[in-house]
Amino acid sequence: MRKTFGALALILSAALIGTSAGAAELRVRIGSDVGNLDPARIFGIENQTVASHVYNGLVKYDQATNKILPDLAESWSVSEDGTAYTFKLRDGVMFHKGYGQLTSDDVKFSLERVLNPDTKSRYAGQLAGVKGVEAPDPLTVRVVLEAPNAGLLNKLTDFNQGWIASRKAVTEIGDKQYAMQPVGTGPFVFDKWSPGNQVRVVANKDYFGGAPSLDAVTFRIIKDETAAAIALENGEIDVFFALQSPPVIDRLKKADGVTVMNRVANHTINLVLNQTVKPLDDIRVRKAIAYGINREALIAGYFKGTKAPGHSVITSSFPEYTEEVPQYAHDPEKAKALLKEAGQEGFELELITVGLSPYNELVIPMASDLEKVGIKTKITVLERGAYLQARGKGDIMTCITGIVGPPDPDSPLVSLYATKSFPPGMNTSRYDKADDLLASASAEQDPAKRTAIYQQVMSQTMEDVPVLPLYADQLFMAHSSKVKGLVQNSLFTVQAYTVSLEE
Amino acid sequence: MLRYTARRLLLMSITVIGMVTVVFFLLRAIPGDPASYMLGDYATEESVAALKAELGLDRPVWEQYLGFVKRALTGDLGTSVVTGQPAFDEVLESIPWSAALSVSGIVIAVLAGVPLGVMSAVRHGTFADLFIMFGALVGISFPVFWVGLVCILLLAHEVRLFPALGASSSTDFFTQVHHLMLPALVLGFSVAAYIARLTRSAMLEVLGQDFVRVARAMGVPERRIVYRLALRNALIPVLAVIGVTFAWSLGSAILVEAVFSRPGLGSMILKAVFARDYQLVQAGVFVLASAVVLVNTSLDIVYGWVDPRVSVS
Repeated sequence: MRKTFGALALILSAALIGTSAGAAELRVRIGSDVGNLDPARIFGIENQTVASHVYNGLVKYDQATNKILPDLAESWSVSEDGTAYTFKLRDGVMFHKGYGQLTSDDVKFSLERVLNPDTKSRYAGQLAGVKGVEAPDPLTVRVVLEAPNAGLLNKLTDFNQGWIASRKAVTEIGDKQYAMQPVGTGPFVFDKWSPGNQVRVVANKDYFGGAPSLDAVTFRIIKDETAAAIALENGEIDVFFALQSPPVIDRLKKADGVTVMNRVANHTINLVLNQTVKPLDDIRVRKAIAYGINREALIAGYFKGTKAPGHSVITSSFPEYTEEVPQYAHDPEKAKALLKEAGQEGFELELITVGLSPYNELVIPMASDLEKVGIKTKITVLERGAYLQARGKGDIMTCITGIVGPPDPDSPLVSLYATKSFPPGMNTSRYDKADDLLASASAEQDPAKRTAIYQQVMSQTMEDVPVLPLYADQLFMAHSSKVKGLVQNSLFTVQAYTVSLEE
Repeated sequence: MLRYTARRLLLMSITVIGMVTVVFFLLRAIPGDPASYMLGDYATEESVAALKAELGLDRPVWEQYLGFVKRALTGDLGTSVVTGQPAFDEVLESIPWSAALSVSGIVIAVLAGVPLGVMSAVRHGTFADLFIMFGALVGISFPVFWVGLVCILLLAHEVRLFPALGASSSTDFFTQVHHLMLPALVLGFSVAAYIARLTRSAMLEVLGQDFVRVARAMGVPERRIVYRLALRNALIPVLAVIGVTFAWSLGSAILVEAVFSRPGLGSMILKAVFARDYQLVQAGVFVLASAVVLVNTSLDIVYGWVDPRVSVS
């Protein structure tokens, strides 16, 4: 026995000496493994975070303000009728790993690949209305639309379908294999994926925006938030991405040498009320539900103040945000009165949600609030596959949904309120009174007027309440004091390009 | 002996085939499929149907099964639908992690569990016995993820003896061992508790037998009685149980992997089940089942050598 312990002690001391600090390498915690980094098929914040280091789009969102800025395109112009966008590409942008210079053909290839039904891209719908992509010369791309769409640039930003891949790389590597062998033009080059453990990207010294200050970024997969918090406090990681648990947030706020950042996300989590199911067709019943649910207490109690109020489905991270919409502060008496007026006292409301935290938990306080104003509630929690299926059919009474995505007002508004998003789309409410406004917003080239139309959509839909925003999601991350220059965006990705490490 | 070995090997392949078959059909019985998982919120019925057709999920399950068996016989366990990479490659990446954790866990468990069990049996009824058995009870009844979290808090946070993360990005051997130690100790503790209890009862049984009394009467030194006569006999059931504990430790390893953020077969299969990545689950289960069966079979064969009575039955 004594010998065994001696050997163990020897290994331990050797191990302690063996730990060495290398080059400037940022270690970022991600909550689960990556699996697909192909822009046409990518999903999940972990994949998107890694991909955002590897790829560029034609244009990009400013990380802090969400304004659209040039990225691979130096400049662009819109035809007078608003149906053609011409982009002038930056000259001399090189793809990683020797796949040559970026040309308009790569842009054409990337966008057409998303549109091609054979690709089965989940983002084909985002580019719906694109009639064709032309490449008149190597540095000019023209996107032709079926009808004017002033929101097109939002669809071409550096996110998901907007990321530009190399035609040569995808063809040579193979359509499916490309998923874990991505080739882009971004500030970091994809290096190695160790399943279940980590993903590593290394600096692209020839990046057109200038080489990053870091030498490499390692994304460590750490599922448990408490373990990740300890790892951050111990200096085993530098950035804690996707911080969600209120007790862990609290703990890190008190920790020495740790900065906690937070920002309102681009999405709200909503209770969708299906207007085709009685008695939800009655606006008074929908308003009673809105007044009946104590959303303030949900945020303060269940979420311990880690979420923000949702005034409409457009959060404060959008340039179009407004609070000038009908509000529904908790008012049980008003809810009861509205139900009495509608003659709907004691009807049964089925709250349907996916079996994922926090949604399967937050329905419980909601149900108890509704019971107090005289609405019988039944909670149905479905496994994700079954939930998607039920929502796709569209005959469910309610569902809980958020439209996660870029700060593109069309993304939540069209998804939740347009008739073209009727099930299997996300408009489970079957709201049909916003089509004209949404179409005129698309056709309006003047940004100020366009914003005014979107705000009109917000007040109208909050008056009709087919969808009740429960709260605006808020994104937390934490980093050690070594990390400088980290800017938090509202996309729920973390971008290390601007980061430097100080000892 | 040869016939016994051959029969065990035959049984072993039947078990593995059975396991993989059960998993194949179980997976397809879970609601949700890879196509709707991959296409997500905006999927239309047509696009899901088209992707299912591409993945061959629109065909009857038995037809899919025959296709799977045919490919598996040629050594092709399929391609992960999520990553587009061969499923077996990802499994191969996970094996060293799992093997390191399970083997070191078992080694710690045997090194700690057997001597403690012996000590407990020899000092039957004393305070030492009570203390060891109480420790074993704790080890058995406290869930391994809880023990893991407490160990992280105490040994990685309060006293910074070990890293909180059970895996390192370093390729340095000693760094990896340093990261492995805490998870291995936690896994080893829960298995050791089991082995200690088993060793104790086996020892007590043997120590009560006639030949021990005869040996004592003949004046054989107590040390020799305990370690040469009793322990060797008591170890036979313990040896048989180590095989079972191996399977058990692989199960606990999933929890240890989750708590210590370590990659491994268990967490890989779990991830694949959530993504409905059928090929990856199948490949993972194939390797896991083979490992468990292989260890148990080799122990059975060793057992046959140690105790000749076994092969007769």
